[in-house]
Amino acid sequence: MLIREDILTPKERMMALLTGKPLDRIICMPIVTTNLAQLIGKTVKEFQLDGQVMADAHIAGFQKFGYDLIYLFTNCSCVAEAMGAELVYSEDEPANCEVPVINSREDLSKIKVAENNDGQLPVYYEALEILNQAVGDQVFISVCFSGPVSTAATLRGVEAFARDTYADPELCHTLLRMATDSCKNFIREIVSYGAIPIILEPIASGSLFSPKMFDKIAFPYIKELVDLAHELKALIPLHICGKTHKIVDKMTDTGADVISLDKCDLMIAREKVAGRALILGNIDPANELLFGPVEEIHRICIEAIDTMKGYTPAFVLSTGCETGNKVPFKHIQAMLDVARSHGLYEYIKEN
Amino acid sequence: MDKETLFREISHALVEFEVEKVAELAEQTLLQNIPAFETITEGLVTGMKEVSRLFEEEEYFLPEVLMCSDAFNAGLEVVNPHLDKASLEKPIKMVIGVVEGDTHDIGKNLVGILSGASGFEVYDLGRDVPLDRFIEKAEEVESDMICMSTLMTTTMDGMKTVIDRLIERNIRDKYKVLIGGGPISQTFCDKIGADLYANDASSAVRKAKELMGRV
Ligand code: B12
Repeated sequence: MLIREDILTPKERMMALLTGKPLDRIICMPIVTTNLAQLIGKTVKEFQLDGQVMADAHIAGFQKFGYDLIYLFTNCSCVAEAMGAELVYSEDEPANCEVPVINSREDLSKIKVAENNDGQLPVYYEALEILNQAVGDQVFISVCFSGPVSTAATLRGVEAFARDTYADPELCHTLLRMATDSCKNFIREIVSYGAIPIILEPIASGSLFSPKMFDKIAFPYIKELVDLAHELKALIPLHICGKTHKIVDKMTDTGADVISLDKCDLMIAREKVAGRALILGNIDPANELLFGPVEEIHRICIEAIDTMKGYTPAFVLSTGCETGNKVPFKHIQAMLDVARSHGLYEYIKEN
Repeated sequence: MDKETLFREISHALVEFEVEKVAELAEQTLLQNIPAFETITEGLVTGMKEVSRLFEEEEYFLPEVLMCSDAFNAGLEVVNPHLDKASLEKPIKMVIGVVEGDTHDIGKNLVGILSGASGFEVYDLGRDVPLDRFIEKAEEVESDMICMSTLMTTTMDGMKTVIDRLIERNIRDKYKVLIGGGPISQTFCDKIGADLYANDASSAVRKAKELMGRV
């Protein structure tokens, strides 16, 4: 495989895409996050609690791979934490909320709408400042956070939340309202650092809720976040893991600029998104990317690129979800190698 | 209402997750001296079978299954005290949990719910369960089956460890080992020497019954 050196920087490449200019290669953004802590000999826990560690790990990762986006992400519960949930931090797994805060309506007094400095959110700002200085001229930086449904369900416990959708819709929507307002405060702050806010909704996954329920509990709230980002003149991607083939059109209807997919047939996505947004995905981080071998990773990346050939505005080669601690770095490299060989475009650098 | 209509109404109300209506109809069966056993098998369990089918066909999802299971339990609570235990087959016992290191428990809970609604006696160990706990509990309750779930590739080897420990202790043949969850496959099942793999909760119940010779 002939691997060509990049001609554009990741930032130039993204700007070219956004302004309709030619690119030197396909855009490639594997979701590499907490697993970078290993690169600098730190634990996942340190990464989640110390902005300097987060930034150093990401600088090391960016220098190693040269991918097109830096994803700042700690765990799925950080907005819930900022609203009042308690998380359990273990050394090498992302933190998790084990006991829900909201066990009845009375418990609503235990949570609040998160302000920008609540919980561990400032860890992100510290990292953003350092990263903007260090690599901000070369690459865009994003912050991933759980959206309204995933945050509300974390506060309440997933199953209690699922029951509430029928048994106590009022409580359900009260939590969704508070979670949405919390996310909005966080988005304003993220955008003020020039970073891209990315909405994650693992719990709004088509593996858990019907498309009809998605319309009720997810769509209006996610759309509100998208609208806010657009008011602030920011791009906003929407990532939903698990199955999405039945909701990918609804995800696109929210107006999100990038539809980031996990278990979804790319042919279906291509047809449903239909040029309304970038499609990002969907190499499985828990299968090929974890087990390899490198040749197999090459094969499935090439297959994804070929399936999406000619898709406009663009297909972004990425993983279906974050790459875990055990995904070997050489497997992530294999994705970028494909972008720099099979994913090349003819390009003549202007002066 | 005659018996058949009543059973049909119960199933229907259950599938529509009308919790109170199921309980009311169950009361009516008692007033008419219908044996609890029949109400359970022909009203409630039939309803849950339909729920199971709807889930498999992606008509129903997590909230609907949970609500239906609440309706099922509401009906069961009414008639259970009147159940003639002698009319029952000895239930199949299963110990179920999510293996150590993993906290994804939705799939496991669905398997537990649908199994319980099909007459299994379910001992739920929860999530992030220490591996030896599966064996201890199975020994303690004299379980027929050990069921393990995981959604993470990083934790699936724990299932093999449990099987290896069963072999070490010479008790492998006492239990049927069932496994499932996102990254699990028939290939993995064969590789680690488990007895059964299923990719969703409905087929899990069906296959488990077949395995135990109850169709
Ligand atoms: C919802 C979800 C969550 C929720 C979980 C809520 C909960 N209480 O369970 C939240 C947001 C909390 C979460 C957290 C995390 N998640 Co998550 N999550 C998912 C998601 C989107 C859906 C899983 C789900 O519930 N599906 C619905 C149920 C109904 O399906 P199911 O579990 O497969 O179960 C069915 C069958 O498998 C079968 N079955 C299940 N068990 C059994 C057992 C037996 C015996 C049998 C026979 C059958 C059977 O029957 C079930 C019903 O039909 C998946 C995506 C995916 N691709 O699956 C990721 C996913 C599982 N998560 C993933 C990750 C990485 C995480 C986090 C580490 C993220 C983070 N950085 O914080 C943490 C985990 C923390 C930890 N250590 O446990 C990865 C796992 C990757 C890997 N390494 O293998 C996945 C695959 C996403 C991805 N593509 O990368 N997650």
